[in-house]
Amino acid sequence: MPILPPLEKDTGWRLFLRTVIGRAYPRVVGMQRERSWLFFEVMLPTLAVAAYVFVYRAMRAPEEYVGFVVVGGAMTAFWLNVLWAMSSQLYWEKEQGNLALYIIAPNSLMAILLGMAVGGLYATTLRAAGVILLGSWLFQVQYAVTSLPALLAVFALAMTALYGMGMMLSSVFLLLSREAWHLSNLAQEPIYLLSGFYFPIKHFNFWIAASASIIPLTLGLDAMRQLVFPSGATLGFLSVPVEIVILSILCVVFLVAAQGLLGYMERLAIREGRLTESRR
Amino acid sequence: MTHSLAIETQDLGRAYKIREAKKKEAKTLVALRDVSLQVPRGELFGLLGPNGAGKTTLIKILTTLLAPTAGWARVAGFDVARAPNQVRPRINMVSGGESSGYGLLTVRENLWMFAQFYGIPTKPANARIDELLATLKMSDRANTKSSDLSTGLRQKTNIARGFLTDPQVLFLDEPTLGLDVGASRDVRAFVRGWINADRARTLLLTTHYMVEADELCDHVAIINQGRVLACDAPANLKQRLQREAIFHLEVSPLKDSVLPMLQALPGVCQVTHHPADDRAALDFILADESVLGAVINTLTQADIRLLRLDKRAPTLEDVFVNLVGRSIEEVERADPSPA
Amino acid sequence: MFNLRAEIENREWVPWRSFRIATWLGWQIESNWTDPFLFAVYSIVKPLASALILVVMYGVITNGDFTSPLFPYIYLGNAFYMYVGAVMTGVSWSVIDDREHYKTLKYIYTAPVDYMAYLIGRGVARVLTGSFSVLITIGCGVAFLRVPIHVAAIDVPLFGVTLVIGILLLALLGVLLAGLTLVLAHHAGYLGESVAGALYLFSGAIFPLDILPAWLQPIGFLMPITYWLELLRRALIGSVAEAFPTLAGFSNAHLLLILLALTLVFGVVSVLVFRLCDQRARALGLIDQVTNH
Repeated sequence: MPILPPLEKDTGWRLFLRTVIGRAYPRVVGMQRERSWLFFEVMLPTLAVAAYVFVYRAMRAPEEYVGFVVVGGAMTAFWLNVLWAMSSQLYWEKEQGNLALYIIAPNSLMAILLGMAVGGLYATTLRAAGVILLGSWLFQVQYAVTSLPALLAVFALAMTALYGMGMMLSSVFLLLSREAWHLSNLAQEPIYLLSGFYFPIKHFNFWIAASASIIPLTLGLDAMRQLVFPSGATLGFLSVPVEIVILSILCVVFLVAAQGLLGYMERLAIREGRLTESRR
Repeated sequence: MTHSLAIETQDLGRAYKIREAKKKEAKTLVALRDVSLQVPRGELFGLLGPNGAGKTTLIKILTTLLAPTAGWARVAGFDVARAPNQVRPRINMVSGGESSGYGLLTVRENLWMFAQFYGIPTKPANARIDELLATLKMSDRANTKSSDLSTGLRQKTNIARGFLTDPQVLFLDEPTLGLDVGASRDVRAFVRGWINADRARTLLLTTHYMVEADELCDHVAIINQGRVLACDAPANLKQRLQREAIFHLEVSPLKDSVLPMLQALPGVCQVTHHPADDRAALDFILADESVLGAVINTLTQADIRLLRLDKRAPTLEDVFVNLVGRSIEEVERADPSPA
Repeated sequence: MFNLRAEIENREWVPWRSFRIATWLGWQIESNWTDPFLFAVYSIVKPLASALILVVMYGVITNGDFTSPLFPYIYLGNAFYMYVGAVMTGVSWSVIDDREHYKTLKYIYTAPVDYMAYLIGRGVARVLTGSFSVLITIGCGVAFLRVPIHVAAIDVPLFGVTLVIGILLLALLGVLLAGLTLVLAHHAGYLGESVAGALYLFSGAIFPLDILPAWLQPIGFLMPITYWLELLRRALIGSVAEAFPTLAGFSNAHLLLILLALTLVFGVVSVLVFRLCDQRARALGLIDQVTNH
């Protein structure tokens, strides 16, 4: 047995940061390892986008709606990532036996979740950008960005709130155990509908649109449409500044709730002993 | 670690409420009761018992994964229930038969990732990963994706993960479960080397392999049905049977009625029966050698042929049989539920 | 004396026995409808939400004019396309389910069963559960969105024959995908989704084929699902089909003949591809692989 020098270990915020980077790594590097993702995660969503584009063309819709579909179709990648690789992730980690190892490590579980979110966001942004580039080229989408800083701010806030929501749901889904699979399935098409991935939500009744706004992508998409398409502003549900304020509030609410629920989940796991049990 | 005891428990207990399907009332299952242990620093301590004895429950409590429902436990001087954040930087755990990390990462990447969770900078982490993989004879697999590893190599990676963070107290739960003979021998040598290299390290090992416990451990606690039945050095435990005589007999197949007759003989402390196709093995713990005559007479009268007879030195298996009344195999056959 | 081997060999024609047992097994696995929550999720909420996305898109562009024949065209095409996901993808998915999830594929494969018949049997439950979704979606369309289906005007024989041929076709396409799944290691899970996504685009499910760029239209005309969906729409609402020029030149009998011919061609190709892939999977030792992704 070799005698190794004693290890210097980081603690505090340095440990937090190391944990975030460590957990983001599999998603940043691992998920890009097999080039086939370019086909399966860019081409497949583009096929779905194409189907909706042709439907709009069959209806003789204004050409901007094609742009709405391309952007909305690309953003579905973020929703799918939050559902299947954030909300359900603690449950999968439990099944793989990793959750117990995360709990006994000296890091914060919040840092683990944040690492998953950062890695997932990076990998999904690549995919979504691929769909937007391919879709925009195939269907000759015209953009007219009115304010790049506002667009970046909306995207950043929408993603923070969305992944904050995913972090919060990960504890909820873990408590719900196997039902999580069905809940993720349940939250796909209905959210595509309610969040207006393929059409402006202004066309909904105010209260339906307002309720759908709890999903950060709803207002995020609405604001982005207003900022990148010439007629976007006339089809916006609320004004961009108001949407930015609401998204900021959602960021805080979801991140605080994520931390609270994570603490509750960990206490419950330790008290009852079942949340770290794999079913294998 | 300034505390002289690495692990200390007092009247530790854990009960689960289990709600059976279609039944309204919850049943209480006691997995661990009144466990009081003291493990000094620098010791390789073994927990020996059949599946379902409560070993894993005890490890879960000591690694802060499970709260006790009675008593208390301290690891590295800190209460596991009240100060888990003090315990966690000082421990690590490896569960046998499991892999850890992500299939899409290589062995090195998975180990590096876990090093980050313990705050180890990349350079020393990589140096340690190299050393560990070399010692575990898997340097050539460092850049293999974990999903492409065999079961044994996945388990070795998991073991490397546990040692990587140089914990003050390491918990190994059945580390050789499912490993082949050669790999098990490598792991045992590695474990012994690790503890010998620095006497401030402490290792708690659970196993249901008696030989493993006998070969590796400084002290062993024998646990069954959630209780610690004995706790001492393996030599001292075996010393308890020094006065008794231990015999291993191989005989022609046994009729059902013979075993109770043997058990009823004066001076027969324990008999365990291991039936096989064309023969049966009988392990006797006798009060003294003179009882053997009566045993052989009983067998002869029952038309049982004696095929082989050995006198043995006591093993931990005999200690277990003496304490529990049955062998580990028999206990596991009677209640095959894992802990 | 009871001879188990003779009993196994003579009692029942192997493909039938395989089909029968697989149907039972599939029903045990798929019968979500017995759980109200799961029934609501998979047979009501998801299919209706998918349909409503198209309904809202249509409503937004036409200001709620649901009288155009385009609306029932889209609505019915989308509803019946659910069978593609249920049957074709379902049959091929049972390979992944057995191989990776239940880890029973090697035992089934080495048992004296006809594996192709087994796979088709696994699809039967999907047909039944898929039919719930299709019925509910069409029922809601008729009740709330004025999809103009009138029971008296339905061409029942045409509908029945078309539906049966189509489901057989989808099961055979499922067998083809199942064969490819046997030899695919890492991306087998995406295969059904990819093919279903591509066919959605090229089979005139939610828009007439002449909307596609001219160079892509021939793909649509080669797909049997194009004719299957057109015949189903004609059988339920004759006037809808007449409103679009793409296949207007073909009579129902012509379309049925084309559908039958293409089903035969695709069926033969499916069986051949399956047999080839089956041999290849055995040659490469992939029958019991677990991809662990």
